[in-house]
Amino acid sequence: MKIRIKWLAMVMAVALTAAACGGDEPADEAPATTAAPATTAAPATTAAPATTAAPEEPEMEEEPAPEEMMIATDIGVDLDAGVIKVGMLSDLTGAFGGLVGLVVAGANAYWADVNAHGGIHGLTVELEYRDTVYSVDNHVQFYEELKDEVVAFGHSTGSPHTVAIREDLEEDGILAIPLTWYSGWSDPALNANLLSHGTPYCIEAMNMVGYLHDLAVADGVDSPTLAVASFPGDYGLDSAEGAKLAAAALGIEVVYDGSGTIIPGQDNAPIGNAIAQSGADIVWVTANFQTLTEVYGAADAQGFEARWSGAAPVWSQALVGPDSPIKDGIARDFYGSIYFSPIIENNPGTEFLRELMAEYAPEVPLIDYVVEGFVEAMILHEALNIAYENGDLTQGGVLAAAKSIEEIDFNGLAPSESYVGSANERLQRQIWITRPDPEALAAGTSPTGIKVAERAYTHPIAADYVFEEACYKLS
Amino acid sequence: MRGRPNLYTSYAADQALMPTVTKKVALAVFLILAALAPIASSIPLYPDFLGHNDWMKLLSHVAIFGIGALGINLLTGVAGQVSLGHAFFMGLGAYVAVVFGAPPGDLWGLGLPMWIWLPMAGIIPAAVGLLVGPAAVRVRGLYLAFATLGLVFIGEWAWRNLKFVTGGAFAGRKFPEFQWRVWKEEKPVADFASDGVWLGFEISEEAKVYLLMLGFLVVATLVAKNLQRTRTGRAFQAIRDRDIAAEVMGVNEFRCKLTAFGISSAFAGVAGALFASFVGRQIPETWDLFLSVEFIAIILIGGAGTVSGALMGTAFVIILPRLVQDFTEWLSGVIESGEGTLATVADAVVSVAPDDGGFINTIPGVGPGLSVFQLNQVLFGLLIILFMIFEPLGLYGIWLRVRNYWKGWPFTY
Repeated sequence: MKIRIKWLAMVMAVALTAAACGGDEPADEAPATTAAPATTAAPATTAAPATTAAPEEPEMEEEPAPEEMMIATDIGVDLDAGVIKVGMLSDLTGAFGGLVGLVVAGANAYWADVNAHGGIHGLTVELEYRDTVYSVDNHVQFYEELKDEVVAFGHSTGSPHTVAIREDLEEDGILAIPLTWYSGWSDPALNANLLSHGTPYCIEAMNMVGYLHDLAVADGVDSPTLAVASFPGDYGLDSAEGAKLAAAALGIEVVYDGSGTIIPGQDNAPIGNAIAQSGADIVWVTANFQTLTEVYGAADAQGFEARWSGAAPVWSQALVGPDSPIKDGIARDFYGSIYFSPIIENNPGTEFLRELMAEYAPEVPLIDYVVEGFVEAMILHEALNIAYENGDLTQGGVLAAAKSIEEIDFNGLAPSESYVGSANERLQRQIWITRPDPEALAAGTSPTGIKVAERAYTHPIAADYVFEEACYKLS
Repeated sequence: MRGRPNLYTSYAADQALMPTVTKKVALAVFLILAALAPIASSIPLYPDFLGHNDWMKLLSHVAIFGIGALGINLLTGVAGQVSLGHAFFMGLGAYVAVVFGAPPGDLWGLGLPMWIWLPMAGIIPAAVGLLVGPAAVRVRGLYLAFATLGLVFIGEWAWRNLKFVTGGAFAGRKFPEFQWRVWKEEKPVADFASDGVWLGFEISEEAKVYLLMLGFLVVATLVAKNLQRTRTGRAFQAIRDRDIAAEVMGVNEFRCKLTAFGISSAFAGVAGALFASFVGRQIPETWDLFLSVEFIAIILIGGAGTVSGALMGTAFVIILPRLVQDFTEWLSGVIESGEGTLATVADAVVSVAPDDGGFINTIPGVGPGLSVFQLNQVLFGLLIILFMIFEPLGLYGIWLRVRNYWKGWPFTY
């Protein structure tokens, strides 16, 4: 017993002495992990993309020639080796692995092309991937591993995951681009180091419920009713809240509320039965295509017909593929939405994307999430260009550059984004509305099995929405 | 006669925690080295990288999972009760901690200090373990594994639906930070959640947390090691080796199994609470079957039934993915650096371009091949099979052989 007490006493004494002997004030100097920025002559410049309205150049007494430009760097940029390292916290094999794999393929092709054409003023961009497997602890661990190697994070998959590293991002002064469309990213309390893009789930739902409401009214339905069912979590509940906010604004009665009730792997057919029994005119489902098949299949089996829709990730070409048991019903009832231009559209952005994918990743199917890979890469490209032009390629310099982007135009690939102004000014509200097109899928002209119904659409309900806080708050 | 190895002249010496001077010195050196890891860069010959913040986090992770592994080792390794319910008790400990420790708000939280929430994270899972134990201990072997598997599924359902505690599926909630307060005062007595200065050394938050976790691991190891020396610990082993024979000797099988279940649950609860606070935020999906399997893998690889094996297994399983990652990067570097046999071999193993044929794919989203994560999964599977066939004592068995080799050197035949 004496031995045990001695041991315990020793351990406690060491711990308490260590704790008591020091204060907890931050060290006077910068943290050991953050090296003081080095200033080095940068390599000769190359042309920057001309798609963006960059902020005005800071006043300088005498502008140095490009090849003599002094660039400050700290972490993730090696001017001698000509490399910029960017971190990618990706769910490659977890719950959203299939979807994120397409995003990653798009980002890889975009940066391969940028590097082939001189990179960022002669600096090659290297992407450092870590597979988080959609686990928060992996996400945090990999953030910690990469934060001392990269200049910024090109994407951070998952809302709770990104929230988990948010405070660290702010303490470390690093930029990250969230790969989620959570409405909370518009909140200034959350987004100091985040560069969100695309229409949030909540606003997307407002647009679609408003759109379907208008169609129903045009068909002579006086008071359309709504059924809502969704996954739990930020994705499902943020979207479900948006649908209910739109319903409240338009005077739509919510006859079934199954927010957060759809769980992958459980029997979801009872939710479909309940929706059918509710007799709703509009059904909003935020899930994935497998669970939509279960829910829709159960409702369809009861002869239920309504206008169905759901958040963008719910759609898959498999729903109208030859093996789908519900392809006819879905082709008749479903209205899809997406946050950017579908690849089948013909605009300079999609043409550029198709060209690059054919060159750098011909084996990757042209499913629309490839666009997201391009969009996030273009945002970071712009931030890096501005940082370079500002002579500051430090982590803090890239963050400051990103937050100064007044407008970035994606050449039709997605609605333009701005990172200055108020939260409401910056909030993205446009979506593309689609309809299933099994014939085009079979013919191979639309790999995603859709056709476009509306471009860059905003319903008045979404346009007038005043953002104050996230539709669904992550506690 | 004194001082001869393996010669004990009293029962107390035979049962001593550290029976030889060599062991005492080795442990002291190991602990000193471990405690010095945060200032690795200031110590000559000390591996520099260990003091980096990312390695501090990795080592903290090892320490926390080490506590969990000691728990499953007591139940499965020492008492022979195969349990897949460890993830449930870890989750339970985490949510007990958050209810006691998180500030009041939208979700349940009492805002109590760490000296309350951390012990409660052990006590309540232990109580629940004792509560569900009678049902579980009526079965043995595979049936017990299945019975405890049910706990994980019940837990998954509960964590998803108790939103006011867990924050809900795929959303989760923030967990209390490592701050030592007497009560609810604003300024903590000891703050492990921010950078500071200790004993004249600038010390990062990550290093502080590492030292704290190391302290907890030392305490947990002493408890586990001591337990194995007690009457209860020996009874656990007797039941593991042959339960009927143990009963014949007067061991109360039911009570012993229940005790093992309770103690293991307490370890799991504390580990879960520490892990959740260490990460800062957790979603209910964390406490799934894979986590339980990971702990079984830890003790199988490390060597079931030994404290050292559980700790070696933990370090191996937690650090291996990082080593595989670094090794893959190194191979990519070799390929890029140019010609040579090594570059040719590396090129055959690692794929660095879309049309490369290597089976480890470093370009996600393009081409075939295993990602580093998938490679780790395959490696774990292979290692479990190989250890079970060739070295049932796990890493501990390998260590024993190495130790015996040098003990007998140069007469090691």
